[in-house]
Amino acid sequence: MHAGIVLCGGRSSRMGRAKAWLPWQGRPMVAHVVERLSEVVDEVVVVSSEQLDLPPLPARVVRDREPELGPLAGIREGLAHVKGELAYVTATDAPFLTPEFVKTMLSYGKAAAPEVDGIVQPLAAVYPRSALACASSLLESDRRRPLALLEAQDYRRVDAAELTGCEDAVRGFNTPEEYLAAVRTSGDDSPVVLELLGRAQLAAGRREIETPVGTLAEVLAAAPPELELVQEGRVARHHLVSIDGRSFLRDLRVPIGPGEHVIVLDASVGG
Amino acid sequence: MNGFHGRYWRFDLSRGEGEMVTIPETILRRYLGGVGLGTWLLHREAPANVDPLAPEAPLIFSFSPLVGTPLTTSAKLAVVAKSPLTGFISDGLSSSHFAIAGKRMGVDAIVLVGACAEPSELVLGALQPTRLWRKTPREADEALSKHGRVAAIGIAGENGVRFATISNDGRHAGRGGLGAVLGAKRLKALVVDGELPTPVADPKAVTRLARDLSKRSLGHATAKYRDLGTVANLAAFNRIAALPTRNFQRSRFDQGDALSAETLKPAREVARTSCASCTIGCEHVYGFGDEKRTRIEYESLFALGPLCGIGDPEAVLAAAGRCDALGLDTVSAGGTIAFAMECAERGYLPDAPHFGDAEGLLALLDDIAHRRGLGDLLAEGSRIAAERIGHDSIAFAPQVKGLEIPGYEPRALQTLALGFAVGARGADHNKSGAYEIDFSDRVDRLHGNARSAALSLETENRAALTDSLILCKFLRGVFDDLYAESAELVRAVTGWNVDGEELEALARRVVAARKAFNVREGWTPEDDSLPERFLSEALEDGPSSGARLTHERLQEMIRSYNLARGWSEQGYLPDAVMRDLSLEPSPADPTHAGPQVDP
Repeated sequence: MHAGIVLCGGRSSRMGRAKAWLPWQGRPMVAHVVERLSEVVDEVVVVSSEQLDLPPLPARVVRDREPELGPLAGIREGLAHVKGELAYVTATDAPFLTPEFVKTMLSYGKAAAPEVDGIVQPLAAVYPRSALACASSLLESDRRRPLALLEAQDYRRVDAAELTGCEDAVRGFNTPEEYLAAVRTSGDDSPVVLELLGRAQLAAGRREIETPVGTLAEVLAAAPPELELVQEGRVARHHLVSIDGRSFLRDLRVPIGPGEHVIVLDASVGG
Repeated sequence: MNGFHGRYWRFDLSRGEGEMVTIPETILRRYLGGVGLGTWLLHREAPANVDPLAPEAPLIFSFSPLVGTPLTTSAKLAVVAKSPLTGFISDGLSSSHFAIAGKRMGVDAIVLVGACAEPSELVLGALQPTRLWRKTPREADEALSKHGRVAAIGIAGENGVRFATISNDGRHAGRGGLGAVLGAKRLKALVVDGELPTPVADPKAVTRLARDLSKRSLGHATAKYRDLGTVANLAAFNRIAALPTRNFQRSRFDQGDALSAETLKPAREVARTSCASCTIGCEHVYGFGDEKRTRIEYESLFALGPLCGIGDPEAVLAAAGRCDALGLDTVSAGGTIAFAMECAERGYLPDAPHFGDAEGLLALLDDIAHRRGLGDLLAEGSRIAAERIGHDSIAFAPQVKGLEIPGYEPRALQTLALGFAVGARGADHNKSGAYEIDFSDRVDRLHGNARSAALSLETENRAALTDSLILCKFLRGVFDDLYAESAELVRAVTGWNVDGEELEALARRVVAARKAFNVREGWTPEDDSLPERFLSEALEDGPSSGARLTHERLQEMIRSYNLARGWSEQGYLPDAVMRDLSLEPSPADPTHAGPQVDP
């Protein structure tokens, strides 16, 4: 019995928004990764932070009790909740992960990790459930690198050249530019919908404007300029902007993915 | 003294006599006016554990240092009493010429105690029988306005409906049943006027500041209110699935577009008006029926519309106008009727209308005001009604401390959920502006936590200051530093050398004083909570889908809030906080200053 563990407790600070929610192939990134994993494992556990709500997933979602300790704490949390003897661990931003790659990694029957350009990839690796105690003791001794856990398991290091789809499996994105570049080559040309409410709607004379994916700045630029949605390099103080109505944001650099709705509200909403 | 008269007028309706009572300048500096001064006076005038509808219960009209100045939105008063709906403090604000006229009587507050022997009106200090009983507040105003500015109740207040309002200039001190307190005193109306202006310390500075504030009040920060009014909230809340619908069973209303400001404005808006001394002009008046018209705010729109499952603008506007005429708080009226509708759906109240029944809603509003049939039960508010209906219906009675919840779904706005739970008045969007935090990138609105507590507390402090100055909260976006800029206003008016730090301490003091009153009246930590529905059922709609609160999460936020306030974990006030409140014994106490001079 094999398991998959998806880590999405990171802060996504360079991306400016949670990677788990970035759209990919018509669904949030975390849902895409869970689906790919589910094709070859018997169970999937998603390790999330207390602060991050996730979309509905066909997986068990557990909370990382100590996200400040980094990914090793997430791996520990995941191992504590899997039933399978071996678990493939991946970061949430693994859009090109293939079931075949996961299957190959699990076929080694022990801890295993690929090496790409001389660098071992511990977040595209297999860990035995029995490594749980070791993970705990490493964290207790303030050794937080996942590689230390692999090393303690006598893991198999696999050269990327031996593996089909390896480089794709470890290819994520940390910045808006990386994400948008990947989207633009993915074949998904669904537009972003800019929704105008309140005064913005009355001024523009319409409720919706479709525009290509881009940063928030690029999306807001699709609105009539007289709305003054952007001022001094930020979302104007008299407006609020929300992605799909869940989170609110002011950072113009964040990426807006295919099919997402950017909602413009009056800043004095409420009251 | 500048900005104040240094006294309040205490009128005993049982004896038909009034007296002037001195307010020490130290107290005025520690509480300013409005809600702050009103709370201090409530501590002083209300006997402990008094029945809110008993003659001894005081009803306080509290003005402020800024009333009478040219500062925009300053023509406001606070009406303060022990609420017959909650048993705790209730402090409603109202914007009207009544505030200016009342202060020109040479007082900083009016305190009514006792009760009239028969239905009466108090006109410029003269208590007389009234012929206006059973009339609408507007009719009472029209009949009495030749004498001065009028505050009046409707039939709901006369009949002791626990969410009756006090009306003036068509505005209402709406929440908590203040109209029932006046009705229990058998006073239909209070008429005030006077000739005594209040001197200000630096008239040139006040004029300059007033000009500047007016200019800023015309900018982007208030444009929503000017262009669309608070009704603009409806489409926004509906879009993010934070719009309470069908008694909080849903957070999206499929007929919401018909009720949105974006639809109402082009189709029905007939006028835009302002409160007294206001440059914002947020009141939008809509036409309906056979050339009828009414103003409507978001709170009325949500409560009489989506909350009751009603999407016909004709019906909702008619219901809002009916509430105004009867003197009913629209939020509590809509909330209580929506609760009854869910009871009907569950088979607990076979005679109640069902969701979407507009005719049933209109009929029930009248029945509540007249206390007829089912209306007599619902006139008690949803909490008492639930206790009598049973079936564990208290779990979905939409109230906190007995006050019906305004139009913000707590599970979708979890920082505000905390504000509702700990609110001294009950669920209250006017005293906690924590929705501002939820509508920001500072928190996850669907996932409240300890950080939410600190941010929620800040909005409550700011509200306490604006409610004591008093300025309109719709100005909140024009201030970069509310405390420092308010201090400049207070310095110019009073001559006191106050700074932002002093006003921030004052704001905290006002919050604590309101809480202290509740503790005195029997508050326990169990009162700071939300109905079980909000702690056990997840939302299902749109972007809020899956959002849930739990007992544990709410309790953790409340604990963090109490500690951040410097109170005990449970929410009790330490001795040092109590000493800072400078509370005084009631006038019955021998140390009381006693009467000075009649008006």
